[in-house]
Amino acid sequence: MKNRKWWLVPLVLTLPLFVAARGRAQESQWTLEQATLSYHVSHPLHQVEGVSHAARGKGVCHEGQCDFLIAAPVKSFDSGDSSRDLHMQQVTKAGQFPLVSVRTHLPASLEGAATIDADLKIEFAGVTAEYKKVAFQQTTEGDHVHITGTIPAKVTDFKMDPPSLFAVQIKNDIPVRVDMIWRKEK
Amino acid sequence: MGPRDARVAARLSVFTLLVFIAPAYTWGQASGTTLTGVVTAGTGSAVSNATLALKNSEGAAVADVKTDARGRYSIPDVQAGEYELTVTAEGFSTSTTKVTIAPGADAASQTADVTLNAPLSLGDLGFSSSQTQGSAADQARLNKRTHMLKVHQTLGLIDVAPMVATVATSFGAGGRSTSTSDRWAHMALGSTTADLYFTSAYFAIFAPKIPGTQTRGGIKLHKTLAWIHGPGMIITPILGAIAFDQKSKGERVHGIASAHGPVAIVTAAAYGAAILSLTFKW
Repeated sequence: MKNRKWWLVPLVLTLPLFVAARGRAQESQWTLEQATLSYHVSHPLHQVEGVSHAARGKGVCHEGQCDFLIAAPVKSFDSGDSSRDLHMQQVTKAGQFPLVSVRTHLPASLEGAATIDADLKIEFAGVTAEYKKVAFQQTTEGDHVHITGTIPAKVTDFKMDPPSLFAVQIKNDIPVRVDMIWRKEK
Repeated sequence: MGPRDARVAARLSVFTLLVFIAPAYTWGQASGTTLTGVVTAGTGSAVSNATLALKNSEGAAVADVKTDARGRYSIPDVQAGEYELTVTAEGFSTSTTKVTIAPGADAASQTADVTLNAPLSLGDLGFSSSQTQGSAADQARLNKRTHMLKVHQTLGLIDVAPMVATVATSFGAGGRSTSTSDRWAHMALGSTTADLYFTSAYFAIFAPKIPGTQTRGGIKLHKTLAWIHGPGMIITPILGAIAFDQKSKGERVHGIASAHGPVAIVTAAAYGAAILSLTFKW
């Protein structure tokens, strides 16, 4: 009887390790390695594209569910003209709200799927707008996942007055194209 | 009615109640399972006022309830099937859980506890507080800049009219057969042009500068051209005044004053190019 108790000791001691390992298996993290975000503005006289490569992002998965957060400084968007960019910052209240952030909640089971329909919560210019079932394309290469898609944003979603040139306003649609490479942490 | 009849009537009433009302009462009761549980934070504390949305496998909303002060919730009459329970609460990331109510489940209730995790923060992305927090002063600077540049733009565009008129009247003012009235008209228009120009320039020069901004794009050419039309707008009236004086004395325009025309043309051309360099500015 005494021997049997001694035999149980290593098992009891190693049990927490197994539990810990199982816990780690349920959790994973994602890091945004590269991102190109570009907004498109249309005006009868001009087509303008503002691009940012400064976005940062992270994803955390718990028990089959993942939360992602991506954010970029508003002033990192470059349309090729510093005066226009400063005016964009003024219109989008970048002085008060210097970041644009996107949150989404996805099931971990979507990893590897060709298409992801994500519900997005975008905080921009001090306003939070929600976009339902935005389609993104996903391709996987090893630990890296390449995601592309377009967010159908509108100026009025963020309670901004569309800027105008020669008394003609820009179009309300400002689609934001997203091109990201995520890395899964080991 | 005798006491016996009263007793019979009372028994009949009870019987009627049992036969007709009791089954109806039973039929009206919830026949499904009651889904209950507690919503807690990762720290173990209860999350009150969390919203729980239960959807069936077809995505149709089945129930929408909130947790009480102790984080408890209860969803009655849930029929057998597969469900998705989504829990949202202020300050937590959304949780979505699969819930299965087995067909013919004996238990009157089923428990599904939910733990909510803290959401990712901007600090998790490595942004410093100075990067995440703006200020009213920064926004006020941007607003003032935009306002001043809009005034600059408006006055600059208005100034095109007297500038064109000045150039048009220069032929009558500077030719061989000139009249005093032509010269005065030319000078008046030129003065108006210069006044508007310097007022417009004031709003551009004193518009607040935004730290860390590198000039690029059309605005770079616009600013470069100002180094031509700016000095031109100072020199042209001076030369014009000398030429005016010479003409008034009946002399031919000579010496440095003869550069008035060419300098004015270069100035006007640089000004026009500066406007065209910013055809799009919202």
